[in-house]
Amino acid sequence: MAADLAAELIAALERRRGSGAAVAAERAAAEAAAHVAGVGAERAVLADDAWLRGLGLAEALSDGGVEVLWWPTGHDVRELLGLDGPEATVGITVPVAAAAERGTLVLAAGAGHGRAIDVASMHHLALLPAERLVRSLAAALDTVYGRGGVAPSAVSLVSGPSRTSDIEKISTLGAHGALDLHVIVVERGGGSEDP
Amino acid sequence: MSADRPVSYPDVAGTLRQRTREAVADAELVGNLRASADAWAAGRTRMEEQHAFAAMRERARQIRTDAVGRLPELLRRLESEVRAAGGHVYFAADGAAACAYVVEVALARGARLVAKSKSMATEEIKLNEALEEAGLRVVETDLGEWILQLAGQHPSHIIAPAVHLNRGQVADLFAAESGRPVPREREALVAHARGRLREVFASADIGVSGVNLAVAETGTLCVVENEGNCRLVTALPPVHVAVMGMERIVAGWDEAAHLLEVLPMAAIGDDAATYVNLITGPRRAGEQDGPEELHLVILDGGRSALRGTEFEEVLNCIRCGACLYSCPVWRSVGGQAYASPYSGPIGAVLTPLLEGPTSPSAELPFLSSLCGSCDDACPVGIPLHDLLVRARARVRPPQRRRERAAFRVWSHLWRGRVGYWASRVAARVGLRLLGRRGWVHRLPGPGAAWTSQRDLPSRWPPT
Repeated sequence: MAADLAAELIAALERRRGSGAAVAAERAAAEAAAHVAGVGAERAVLADDAWLRGLGLAEALSDGGVEVLWWPTGHDVRELLGLDGPEATVGITVPVAAAAERGTLVLAAGAGHGRAIDVASMHHLALLPAERLVRSLAAALDTVYGRGGVAPSAVSLVSGPSRTSDIEKISTLGAHGALDLHVIVVERGGGSEDP
Repeated sequence: MSADRPVSYPDVAGTLRQRTREAVADAELVGNLRASADAWAAGRTRMEEQHAFAAMRERARQIRTDAVGRLPELLRRLESEVRAAGGHVYFAADGAAACAYVVEVALARGARLVAKSKSMATEEIKLNEALEEAGLRVVETDLGEWILQLAGQHPSHIIAPAVHLNRGQVADLFAAESGRPVPREREALVAHARGRLREVFASADIGVSGVNLAVAETGTLCVVENEGNCRLVTALPPVHVAVMGMERIVAGWDEAAHLLEVLPMAAIGDDAATYVNLITGPRRAGEQDGPEELHLVILDGGRSALRGTEFEEVLNCIRCGACLYSCPVWRSVGGQAYASPYSGPIGAVLTPLLEGPTSPSAELPFLSSLCGSCDDACPVGIPLHDLLVRARARVRPPQRRRERAAFRVWSHLWRGRVGYWASRVAARVGLRLLGRRGWVHRLPGPGAAWTSQRDLPSRWPPT
C-alpha cells in the first residue's frame, strides 16, 4: 500500500519534472547526501525536526563538506535568498503529509519549519516518512485542518520545481523558487524509530 | 462618460472598434495568441482524458453556487477567524476605499518598496497607481506582470498576462531595464528575471498579494502560483496585504480541496499548481519568517449588488482564464482590446456589470460571436453564453439605441400588409439604384456597417 502510494507520488512529481526515490530509513541519510552533492549545494538549510535529526543527515552532509544550518537559522533574508553567503543552497524539508495522486507535498510552517525554506533556496529536497502518504489532496489537507486543532500559520503545497509559462506559454523551470525538487520517501526500515 | 466604479484602464486610447481592428491587423500578436490558445487546448484535452472532468465541474459549480448563496454568513466567519489568528480585516465598499486603506497601512509603516504578486483584484482597483501616487515604489514580481510593467502595458490574460508578447520582445524589454544585452533563450530570460527580482524580495517593506480562495472555517487565504514569487511576497516582507474579491470564498476544506484541483486543470492543463500558499494569520511566536502584520482587504466593488440578480452566476468565477483561450474573439484580438483587466467572455460580462450600464465598457458584451465555447470551457459551469445575451439586452449605449429604434420602425412597418409590400418595393428599387453589375457594395446610413463586411445582390435571385 505505502509502496504503491510512493510510486504514484514519484510518478506525478516526474510529470512536473521533479524527481524522487523510496528508500529504507537506514539508507536515507546517504541517499540525501548524495543528492545534495549531485546538485552541487554548498549550504543546507534543514527544517528542525526530531525525526530528521534521527536520520543522521546532518553528519552525512558535513562529511561531504556541506555547511549545515538548522531552522531557525537566525540569518537575515538576504542570506536566506542566497544574495549574501553561498548562492548554491538546498532547503531540506519534512512534509507533514503528501497527496500521492497529485504529487503534492504538504509543508506546515512552525518554529522549526520556515515558510520559505524551500522557495528561497536554490534546490529543494524533501524527506517524507512513508506513513504520511495518502492518496487524495482532500485527505492530505484533512491531516492538517481536519483534526480540530489550531491551523498552522502557513501551509505550503508543493508539487514540483518552480516554473513559469509566462513567456510564450511554454513551461520553463527555475522562476523564483527552487530550480529542482527531489523527494526521498523514507520507508520504515529495521531498527529505525517511529516518526 | 465615466463609470461610478472604473474597472477599465483609463489610459487606453481609441474606441473598441478601433482597438479590435488594430489587434486583428497585428500579425505578430495574432500568432502569439494562437500559440498560447493551442497550448491551453492541448492541456484541456489531456485533463479530460485523465480525469472525470465533467463530474468535477458539476461539483465545482455546486460548491461555488452554495458559497455565493451563503456569502454574508461565510464572510462573517472568515472575518472572525482571520482576526482570531491575529490578522486585520477591512471591508472595502469600492476600489477607492480599498486603495486608501492599503496606502494608509503603507504610510503608517513608513514603507518605501512594495513587492507585488499577481492579483486581478488589485488590477481592478488600480492599486499600483494609488501606491505610486503616495510616493511608493511598486514592483510586480510575477514574471508576466513584471514584463508588462517594464513594457508599460496592461495584462492580456487573467493568468498569463504577457501571453501576447514573444521572447524576442521580452529580451528587448529586459535589456532596456538592466542596461545590458540579454540572450533570447527562454531559460536565460527566466534566470535573468530571477536574479533581478531577488533584491526586491529581500528589501520590500510590504508584500501585496491577491487571494484565489478564502476558507471561512479556518480563516485561511489560498494563493495559487507556479513561480514561487507569491510565497516570497507573503513570507518575507514585514507586512502582507492580501486583496480579495468578496465572492472568492468557500465554507470549508472539502470544498477548497476540490476547487484547488479544478483551478489548475482549467487554467494550465495540470492537476496541481506548483505552489499553493495557505495562510492563516501572521507570523507566530517563535517563528523566524512570515509577516508581522497581515491585512485582508475584502472588496465589494459592485459584487454584492449582483447577488439575487440574473447575473449572480458570474460570481462563481474562479478566474482560471479558460474562457479566454476558448474564445475565437479573444484568440483574434487578445485581451488588451477589451481595455479591462477582465477580458474574454467573462470580462465582457463582468466589466460592465461592475462599472454600470452607462460606462464605456457597456459595448463589451457585443465583442462575442455567441458561439458558446466559453460555456464548455468554464470549469464551474457559468452559462457565459446566456449571460452575454442578457448583458446585451441590459446595456444601452447611444449607438445601440439607434439600432433599436431602426428595428422598432421595421417591426412596425411589417405589422400591416401595406407597410410590408411598400417596404419590399422600396427595397427592390433602392437596391437596383445602388447596385453596380448586380451587387451593392455600400449601403447608406445605418446599413453601412452591414456592407462593410459583405456585398448585397441588387436583384433577387442574383444573376
